[in-house]
Amino acid sequence: MYAESQVASAAPRLPGKLPLTATLLLLGALAASAAPWFLERDPVSVVSAFWSYDGGDYTSVLAHFSWAPRVSIALLIGCGLGLAGAVTQQVLGNPLASPTTLGVEAGGQFGVTLATLFAPALLAFSQDLVAVAGGLLAIGMVIALTWRLGFSPVTVILAGLVITFFMGALNMAFMLIKGEWLGNLFIWGAGSLVQNSWQPFMDLWPRVLILGAALVLLMRPLQLLQIGQASASSLGARVGLLRMLALFLVVLMSATVVSRVGVVAFVGLAAPVLARLLGARTLQERLIWSMLLGGGLLLLADTLAHWASSWGDGSLVPTGTTTALIGGPIILLALQGFKNTHHMPGQESNPGAFLPKRRSVLVTGAVLLCLLLATFFVSMGWSPGLQEWSWTPIADWGEAWVWRGPRLLAAILAGVCLGLAGSLIQRMTGNVMASPELLGISGGAALVMVLIVLTGTEIGRAGQLGAATLGAAGALGLLILLARRHRFAGNQLLLGGLALYVFMDSGLRLVMASGGTVAAKLLNWMYGATWLISETEALSLLGLTLVICLTLFVAIRPLTLLALGDTSASSLGLPVTRARLGLLILAAILTAAATVVIGPLSFVGLIAPHLARVLGQQTVGRQMIGSALAGGLLLALADYLSRIVIFPSQLPAGLLAALVGGIYFLWGLSRHGRA
Amino acid sequence: MSAFFEVSSLGVRIGDTTIVNDINLDFREGEVTALLGHNGSGKSTLLKVLARQLSPAKGDVRLVGNRNHRTDAREFARTVGYLPQHPPGTDGLTVSELVALGRYPWRGPLGRYTPDDYACIDQAIADTGLTPFRHRSVDTLSGGERQRAWIAMLLAQQTQCLLLDEPISALDVKHQVETLRLVHRLAEERDLTVVVVLHDVDLAARFCDRLVALRGGRLIADGTPQEIMNSGTLESIYGVPMGVMERAPGQWVSYVH
Repeated sequence: MYAESQVASAAPRLPGKLPLTATLLLLGALAASAAPWFLERDPVSVVSAFWSYDGGDYTSVLAHFSWAPRVSIALLIGCGLGLAGAVTQQVLGNPLASPTTLGVEAGGQFGVTLATLFAPALLAFSQDLVAVAGGLLAIGMVIALTWRLGFSPVTVILAGLVITFFMGALNMAFMLIKGEWLGNLFIWGAGSLVQNSWQPFMDLWPRVLILGAALVLLMRPLQLLQIGQASASSLGARVGLLRMLALFLVVLMSATVVSRVGVVAFVGLAAPVLARLLGARTLQERLIWSMLLGGGLLLLADTLAHWASSWGDGSLVPTGTTTALIGGPIILLALQGFKNTHHMPGQESNPGAFLPKRRSVLVTGAVLLCLLLATFFVSMGWSPGLQEWSWTPIADWGEAWVWRGPRLLAAILAGVCLGLAGSLIQRMTGNVMASPELLGISGGAALVMVLIVLTGTEIGRAGQLGAATLGAAGALGLLILLARRHRFAGNQLLLGGLALYVFMDSGLRLVMASGGTVAAKLLNWMYGATWLISETEALSLLGLTLVICLTLFVAIRPLTLLALGDTSASSLGLPVTRARLGLLILAAILTAAATVVIGPLSFVGLIAPHLARVLGQQTVGRQMIGSALAGGLLLALADYLSRIVIFPSQLPAGLLAALVGGIYFLWGLSRHGRA
Repeated sequence: MSAFFEVSSLGVRIGDTTIVNDINLDFREGEVTALLGHNGSGKSTLLKVLARQLSPAKGDVRLVGNRNHRTDAREFARTVGYLPQHPPGTDGLTVSELVALGRYPWRGPLGRYTPDDYACIDQAIADTGLTPFRHRSVDTLSGGERQRAWIAMLLAQQTQCLLLDEPISALDVKHQVETLRLVHRLAEERDLTVVVVLHDVDLAARFCDRLVALRGGRLIADGTPQEIMNSGTLESIYGVPMGVMERAPGQWVSYVH
C-alpha cells in the first residue's frame, strides 16, 4: 500500500486570537456602552438596570427602560444576523454572501414601505409578514438571476446589489411621489435601535431563539455542501431542499429583524468574514464565533451611533449608518485573503451558453440611430401644455432649445458614456453583471457630493462638477491601489467597488436621517435630475465624449485579447497590467462625466452593453457602438418621460432610467436563464 | 453473478445535443468495469446517470435486487458512491474531516458518530496512505494527495458500489497503480461493484475485469481485456491506428502506429 510518510502534522486548533478578539470586542463594546452611566451611577446599579429600577430616580428609569433594552436588543439582533450570515455563506459557498448583499434587507424594507402606503391594515396585522414577503421576493430574484450564471460569488453579490439598488429606487420613487407619508420611514429604514421599553425585546427574543435553533439543527447537512453539490447529493443530502430551507430560515431571521428596527446592514456580512479571517475553520466554529462577533459588532456600532447622536448637533444618527461604516473596511480586509477561484460548490462554472444570432452592425446601428433621432424630435417638439399636447413648430425650436435642449443633449451623452464605460468594464472583468455603477466609481463621486451637502458648503454648480470628478478619480485611485495586488483582475475591482458603495450608502443614510431641504436636494441629484444642466455644460460634455470615443479605437483589440485571460494575452504580446490601467482610467473618466449628469444609480451602464449583445453585436467594437447608441436612447427616453409623466412636475430622469432599466434587466436575465 | 445495474435503451440529452444514445448494458455485482472512450464519448455522462446526478431523457436504469434506483437519497448513498471528475475546493476542511463526511449517509443530520464510524474513517485514511496528512487542510495538498483524500471519503461511505470518474488523472505512475490495486483489492474483499472511467487502456486492461467502450454516445465494445485488447478493437475505439503486444499473460502494451 501507500508507503511514504514524511510529515505527520498535529490536528489544527482554534487559533487563540479568535476567542480573545471576540471577548475583547464584546467586553469593550459593553464597557463603552455603559461608560456614560458609570459617570452618574455606581457599577452595581448600572448592572442591575437590566432587571430593576428605582421609580424615584430619573437616571435609573432611563437606564432600565432605554439603555438596558437597547444593549440587549443590539446583542440579540447582532447574534441573530451573525448566525444568519454564516449560514448564508455556507449555503451559497460564497464568502461574501449575507442577508445584506443578497438584497434580503432591502426587500424587507420595500415590503414594509409598500404596506405603509397601500395596506396599513396589513402592517398592523403583522409587520413580519410583509417584511418576510419582501425579503423572499428579493432573494428569489437574486437566485433566479444567477441560476444559470453558475452562482459564482461575485455574480451573486452583483445581482444582490442590483436588486438592492432597484428596490431602493422604487422606495425613492414612492418617497418623491408620496413624500408626506414616508418621512419617518427614512429613520426607520436606516436602522435605529433606540428603545423606550422592554416590549420590542420581549417580542423579538423568542423568534430569534427559535430561528437560531432551527439553523443550528441544519448544521450537519450544511457541512456537506462544503464538498460540492455532486458529492453532497451522492452522500444522500437533498441539496436543493436543504438550500431552500436554510435560505428560508435566513430570510425569516433577517426580515423579522428588519421589520422591527429597519435595515441594520452588514452585520451579517462582517461577522462571519471576521470570524473566518481570525481563523474559524469548520462550520461549527464559524457559526458560533460569527454569532458572538455579530453581537459584539452591533453593540459597538450602536454605541458609536449613540455617541455620535449625543455629541453631534442633536440629530439622530441611526445605527445602520455606523454598521455600514464598520462593514466597508471589513469587506476590504476580506478582499485581501479572498481567492476568486471559488464557485458555488458543485455548480459547473461555465454559464449556459448565451449567444444570440449575430446581426450586421450597420443595420442595428442605423435602427438605433433612427430611434434616437426620433426620440430627439419628439422630445424637442411634442410636449404637454397646460391645456393639451401640442407640437412646437420647428421655427420656434431656437427658443425651446434653451429649456429642452441642454438636458436632452446631456442625457444622451451621459447614456453614451455609460454605455461605453459599461462595455469596457464588462469586457475587462469578463463579467456580464459588471458596470460602472457597481464598480463604485459613481459611488465615489456621490460620496463627495454627500460630504459637501453634509458639511453645508455652498460651492455652486461648477464646484460640484469638479468635486464629483475628484471623487470619481479618488475612488479610481483607491481601486487601483487595491487591485494592484491582484494585477487589476476584474472581480477584485468589483469587490473594491462594493466596499466604496457601502461607504456612500452610509453617508447617504446619514443625510436622509438628518432630513430637511438638504436631503431633498441631494435626492434630486442622486437620482439624476437633468434639469440642472446648463448649455455650456452640455456642450463641454459633448467635446469630452468625442475625444474619448476616438481614444477608444485603440482599445478595441487589447480588450479582445484580455478576454482570453492574462496568460494568453501576455503571451500574445499585450502588456497586460498597463493595458488594464489604461482601460480603467478611460472607464473612470467616462463614468465621472456621466455621473455628474445622471447621478450614480442609473442602470444604464449595466443594461446598454447587455442590450447590444441581445441585438447581436458580439465583438468588442460592435458591442461598444451598439451599447453607446442604446445607452443614449435609453436616457433620452428617460429624460423625455421624466418631463411628461407627472407634468407639470418632473421626476428625476435617472430614477426613471433605474426603474425601467431594472425591470428590463430582470426580464432579460430571467429570459436567458430559461434559454 | 447477478447484475447490479441494468441499463436499458438509455438516452441522455443536454440541450439539443444527444450525449448518450440507446445503451443496453449490465454492470455485474463484484466486477470492476472500466469505461473507455475518447473525449466526449459519453463516459462521464453514463456514470452520472448511474450516480443519479443526471436523469435520462429516455430509457431506464435499474438497481437490481431489492434495491430501487429511485430510492431515498440517503439510502441510495449507502449503496452507491460517486467520485466526480473535478472535485471542488473544500474550503479549509482537513483530510479527516472530509473523510468523516462520508459517514453522513449512515448517520444523517443529527445521529451521533459511534466508535465504529471513527474506526471506519481511520481505516479509509490508512488504506489510501494519507495517515500523515490527516490533519492537513485538503486545499493545501498536492493534486494526487487530494484525489486520494476524496477516494478515502468514498471508502468511508462503505457502499456496495463505487462510481469513479477518472480517479487517477492527477496521480503519478506509482499512485495510479496503487490506487487501482486498492480498488481492485477492495472489490475482491468486499465484493464491491466498481465502474471506473479511465483513459489509460493498458492500466484498465491490467486491473479491470471487464472493459466497456463508448464512442459518440453508443456502446461499441464490451468484453474481457482478452477480447478488447487487439489492434482492431482499439482502433475502432480511439480512431487512430494502434497496435497491441501481450508481454505476459494479463499484461498488455498498446502503442500508436
